[in-house]
Amino acid sequence: MRVVWSILAKDLLLEWRERARTLSVVLFAVVTLLLFSFALGPDVEALRAGTPGFLVLALLLSSTLALNESFRIEREDRALEGLLMRPVGSMAMFYAKALANALLLTLLAPVVVGLAVVLYSLEVGPPALAGLVGCWALGAAGLAAPGTLYAAMTSRLKTQDVALPILLFPLVVPVLLGSVKAMDLVLFGDAMNQLQSWVSLLLAFDVIYWAVCGVLFRYAVEEGE
Amino acid sequence: MGAHARESAVHASGLGRRFGRYWALAHVDLEVPYGTSVWLRGSNGAGKTTLLRLVASLSTPSCGELAVGGHDVYRQRAAIRRSVSLVSHALYLYAGLTARETLAMWAQLGGTAAAARDVERRLDEVGLAAAADRRVGEFSAGMRKRLALARALLEAPRILLLDEPFSSLDRAGCELVEAWVRRFAETGGTVLMASHDHERSRALCERVIDLEDGQIVGRETLRATGDPS
Repeated sequence: MRVVWSILAKDLLLEWRERARTLSVVLFAVVTLLLFSFALGPDVEALRAGTPGFLVLALLLSSTLALNESFRIEREDRALEGLLMRPVGSMAMFYAKALANALLLTLLAPVVVGLAVVLYSLEVGPPALAGLVGCWALGAAGLAAPGTLYAAMTSRLKTQDVALPILLFPLVVPVLLGSVKAMDLVLFGDAMNQLQSWVSLLLAFDVIYWAVCGVLFRYAVEEGE
Repeated sequence: MGAHARESAVHASGLGRRFGRYWALAHVDLEVPYGTSVWLRGSNGAGKTTLLRLVASLSTPSCGELAVGGHDVYRQRAAIRRSVSLVSHALYLYAGLTARETLAMWAQLGGTAAAARDVERRLDEVGLAAAADRRVGEFSAGMRKRLALARALLEAPRILLLDEPFSSLDRAGCELVEAWVRRFAETGGTVLMASHDHERSRALCERVIDLEDGQIVGRETLRATGDPS
């Protein structure tokens, strides 16, 4: 836990010091949401109906930016190698980096969900808003774990910006579907009591991703033969 | 693992490292007893950095045997990394952290209370006490090198790996490194150092290993181990 906390604190401090980077991720998510509303035109009903999908896509697209950045700081001056040289388990390193990424992506929720409420004229009360943010957080956790693993793998490549989404997006389809469906039920009612099942599914994928990626992370960061 | 491997700081036999079809290191047999200072001498591309990275367990051999501190590099990397410290071309620093935060983080990662208490002393030793709260990104190359040395000091290694330790340093910085390496060796530490600074390396090390095109082409003993002259 000490190691996880040290690396997490370092990552959060660096994020805070380089706020411009964090801000660019927030702006990217906001612009994505705006573009969806421009693409669909002034049809408010269609915009409302598409809100869950737009929110999850905004999260997904901005996550690649955040994930790439999280390993850029580790590759500069080969800082990651320095961490490997300490008695730091690669699993602890993974959980620290993934936690930092999940936290950053979750922090986007108030801004992006708030903007969606205004842009798409959503009539939602505090419980539904909390539900949306909760679904967003679960989706962010589901993206952060495989995203951290793949960001570590692709950070050595010149084509990292392209390689990360190509590898990540197919893997996180279950998270994408689960998040969209859960947000849809939060926003437009849950007559058949399905929300709990979708949230459970999201949670299950989150647990699987966090467990499996934690084990695989060492192969992503250690130099092979 | 043989008796030699267990008793030596570094034991290599038939060691090789290949990148694609290019052998950066081949047929290396090496025996470095504890408490010995070794200078790896050779031109650019001779294989010095590759050898140091293999000993640090940051790279995996393509063939051969390698044991560091009695630990097998294929299976016991964590144990090797606990006893080894590397100061290389890349300094493993975060530009956004201050010097003090950098060392505090390394101390915390090491998990020893002694290291945490040592932070201020190490900053002072490398002449960075006045710049302790400045961000590393604002440092000159020499200051960054000094901070990397302070980090290595903090790790309290048994085996010290230095890749061009005098580069980027001013005269005072070079003297600091010299004094530090000498003190480290006097207390029984093992040093493997790759350097183009012949004068300083000759004064510091007891043995020389000549590398050329990834192979050892010569060995020389400058003085007996432990002889400070």
